[in-house]
Amino acid sequence: MSNFRRSQNEAHPNKTNTLMTAIIVLLILFVGIQIWFLFGALNNALQDNIYFALTTFIGSFLLALASFWLLRYLPDPLKKSQKKGNNQKETNKKE
Amino acid sequence: MAEKELHHRPEKIPSWKSDFPIEEEQATHVGRREFAKFLGLLSGTLALGNGVIVIKALAFPAKPLEGEHFVCNADEVAVGKMFQFEIEGSKIIPYILIHLEENEWRAFEQKCTHLTCAVRYREDLGKIECPCHHGFFSADTGEVLQGPPPRPLPRLEVVVRDGKVYVREEQQEQTV
Repeated sequence: MSNFRRSQNEAHPNKTNTLMTAIIVLLILFVGIQIWFLFGALNNALQDNIYFALTTFIGSFLLALASFWLLRYLPDPLKKSQKKGNNQKETNKKE
Repeated sequence: MAEKELHHRPEKIPSWKSDFPIEEEQATHVGRREFAKFLGLLSGTLALGNGVIVIKALAFPAKPLEGEHFVCNADEVAVGKMFQFEIEGSKIIPYILIHLEENEWRAFEQKCTHLTCAVRYREDLGKIECPCHHGFFSADTGEVLQGPPPRPLPRLEVVVRDGKVYVREEQQEQTV
């Protein structure tokens, strides 16, 4: 029996790859912005500019939350999905 | 013969291998999943670092210099010359005293605001120079004239009384 997920996977075999790349690119972007914030905060804290440090901290914290949230969408490891696929095939054969 | 047989017998798998059945490739390979997770961890650490800066700025604000500190006798420093001195507080901070003109004295922190190199007064240029990366500060105000320093040099007020030079925290508010 074919289901929606299986037919989607067969129609777009590169989907996992694209998704993984997109997540990593986004994470690098977030980390890059955070490094920028940290550098600015260090320089401005030395100049007694506490509001800049506070604003960048809030921004950096939100970006970290976004990074953790993105990790939810990491595709499953290939081995697991293969096993799942095999199991499905086996069950299909049995049916 | 018996010895030869022993020799040809396949080696036993060491017990540690059976205890930890992990292949080398499996242990050393860093997959894209692990890399993405590492980036997530790095992101969290950076946010934490930013938080530490805020906490440090709120909990331990920079203390202003208390009282007047004697530096040297006024006749020890000729016009156009520089005198190095230190003030011991919670930290030892090096300063420079510059005798710009008659009755014109300036005192600045000696640490460059770029990478804390020791700055010096260049009499021929009339500017304060950081020799590490060629940053120049105004000898009059301490403002950045040229080069990579991001902030002006912290300044102290100079008081000359009875031929003796003292420094203290600046009374008037600094213009940004």
